[in-house]
Amino acid sequence: MFRSTSGTRRVLLVLCALLLSLVFVLPKQSHTLLQAVGKPLADIVTIPLKLLFSADSRVEAVWDRYVALRGVREENEQLRREIEFLRGQAADLREMAAANRRLTELLRFQAHTPSQTVAARVIGRDATNWYRGVVLDKGEQDGVRTEMGVVTLAGAVGRVVKTRASSSVVLLITDPNNAVTSLIQRTRDEGIIEGTFGGQARMKYIPLLSTVRVGDPVVTSGLTGGFPKGVPVGTITSIQKDEGGLFQTADVRPEVDFTKVEEVLVVTAPRSTGEPSADSPEENNKP
Amino acid sequence: MKLLLYFGLALGLVPIQSTVLDHLSVAGVRPDLCLIAVSLIGFFGGAGDGVLMGVLLGFEQDLFSAGDAWVSVITKAAIGLSGGLVARYVARATPATVAPMMMGFSVCSGMAFLFAGAGGPDTMTAVQSILAPQAVLDGVFGVAAYWVLAERFRKDDSLV
Repeated sequence: MFRSTSGTRRVLLVLCALLLSLVFVLPKQSHTLLQAVGKPLADIVTIPLKLLFSADSRVEAVWDRYVALRGVREENEQLRREIEFLRGQAADLREMAAANRRLTELLRFQAHTPSQTVAARVIGRDATNWYRGVVLDKGEQDGVRTEMGVVTLAGAVGRVVKTRASSSVVLLITDPNNAVTSLIQRTRDEGIIEGTFGGQARMKYIPLLSTVRVGDPVVTSGLTGGFPKGVPVGTITSIQKDEGGLFQTADVRPEVDFTKVEEVLVVTAPRSTGEPSADSPEENNKP
Repeated sequence: MKLLLYFGLALGLVPIQSTVLDHLSVAGVRPDLCLIAVSLIGFFGGAGDGVLMGVLLGFEQDLFSAGDAWVSVITKAAIGLSGGLVARYVARATPATVAPMMMGFSVCSGMAFLFAGAGGPDTMTAVQSILAPQAVLDGVFGVAAYWVLAERFRKDDSLV
């Protein structure tokens, strides 16, 4: 067995020597021959090569992904933090933009209204459940005094009932303890607006002969309550006429959404200084 | 520690009541944190502490309310005193005994407000829409606060 193997070995060695001599002597022809002989071998070797390459690629991919994931995880966390920060910034910017819009409108309103006003921000609600009130960030040092009217773009809000150096408390027109003289815009009939427990308002003492209708707008009369004349109060939603009563009563839906009031104007002087006041003789003599 | 707690309550409770607590309101009615705090201070700290904190918190509450400047001072001081007195006569307090106490205090306080004319002319509507729901809320929040405080004191006792 050993001998035959040794013989085969010798034969193979001789063939190799011949092949090498052929390569040296006839390089071009030998190249073609080698290619022709090596082709099937190459095809065979290609199979495990592909397998190995595939396996290696997978391992490499898994490895890369694992290694990369470690980085990605940190990057992801960082990006999340950045997203949170940017979201917060976006929310802040949206809030600032909304506040800017509101304040611009308020300033425009302040510029066009004939009354002298002080802009204030609502910083809290009444500390008890028993009154419908809001706390403003402006007080006596800003010229705010009790009994001054408080308005927004939408309409009347209430009147100042307490003042301190840098804050004040406003009783809303929807509080049952509040009373503001108002008039029905269409019929010019006067009445008194009082609050109800449902967060609405009621107009009392409307003359019996008044032709008031549902949907009529109600505005301030400018006589009392520190409001200028013509500030919207609300819209009449229903009318009650008591049998044998001397007056009519109407339910009024306020123009202002009191749950969303953020900035207001405190009317420090219901009319501008150039305009005659409500009780001035000039106005009283007008037809 | 106690002084620090009282100081914190005096500074923080009324602002919380008039700002953050608005989000917890049920049909526009919020629990009265000052009432709950004062009654529990009276209950745990004694009538003297209850009266002092009642006057202080009541005064602050009146400052930030559209109502008269005495109603909360009087009611909160009386509640602080009552909390202290109740604690003397209750042998073993449980949430079941604290709840009616808190609701009773809330009803008495509400009646004082009604007496001061806070609810307007329609008293029955005021009772239904403010007094009764507030009493329930004060009872619930009061029991929760009592439970937290009682647990804390129990833990402190076990440490001693």
